[in-house]
Amino acid sequence: MQNGRSKWSAYAWYWQRVSGLLLVVFTIGHYVTVHWTEAAGHSFQSSVERLTNPLFQFWYLGFVVLGFYHGVQGLYNILRDYKLPRALLWSVMGLVIAAALYFVYLGFDTVLSVHTWKQVR
Amino acid sequence: MGVEQMYMQDFSPFRTWWSILRRYRWHAGSVAWILHRITGIALLGYLFVHIWALRSLVKGEAVFQAEMELFTTPVFKVAEWLLFAVVLFHALNGIRIVVVDFSARGAYRQKALLRLVYAAGIVAAVLMGVLIFFDPFAV
Repeated sequence: MQNGRSKWSAYAWYWQRVSGLLLVVFTIGHYVTVHWTEAAGHSFQSSVERLTNPLFQFWYLGFVVLGFYHGVQGLYNILRDYKLPRALLWSVMGLVIAAALYFVYLGFDTVLSVHTWKQVR
Repeated sequence: MGVEQMYMQDFSPFRTWWSILRRYRWHAGSVAWILHRITGIALLGYLFVHIWALRSLVKGEAVFQAEMELFTTPVFKVAEWLLFAVVLFHALNGIRIVVVDFSARGAYRQKALLRLVYAAGIVAAVLMGVLIFFDPFAV
């Protein structure tokens, strides 16, 4: 490694693999808890119940952040291979990163404000 | 003349792409590499769609139920199955990439691992098809 730049992409390479493995674990858990039967995922109250549980909240907030990190980093890895003009590459990446940050906010807001619909028994 | 100059002299994008495709080495590993990129871009797009769709959770039960009704129609069931196939390939091939990159002998076994990816993927996709279209655990 000659400079900081190549060191940075070595970390990116490593964390792309680690975040990918974590996402596999997340995705299996997500499919089993939410999509195993129609009733589990498609019922409003069971979804609200799930998302008011701190453990599931932590789970999904991590899922959203890791998903966008892995996806945006992956898109950058792809685009970098096509030797685009720097201005074009960073315009596209800027838009995607801005959109990803907004959707991380949307996801956080959904997970953290859904408790208002919880039925009091 | 280097390969790069050959691409540069042709300014028609379609002819350029066609010449890239013709020159491409269509080996099992490179096909998996292309599929990994295509499925990866699709999944990033889907992550946006998924979070957008689940905004219905903060709009109340009626909006959410109406949306879930839509998701049980046959078109969406087929779409969900295709989505699962995309997730499955990206996840299994991703595990293969980690094994190839991090294990001492992984690179020598990449083709066998790829066969395992496709075999396990087809089995899991069929099982998911049963779950989606026949719902055996329905109460």
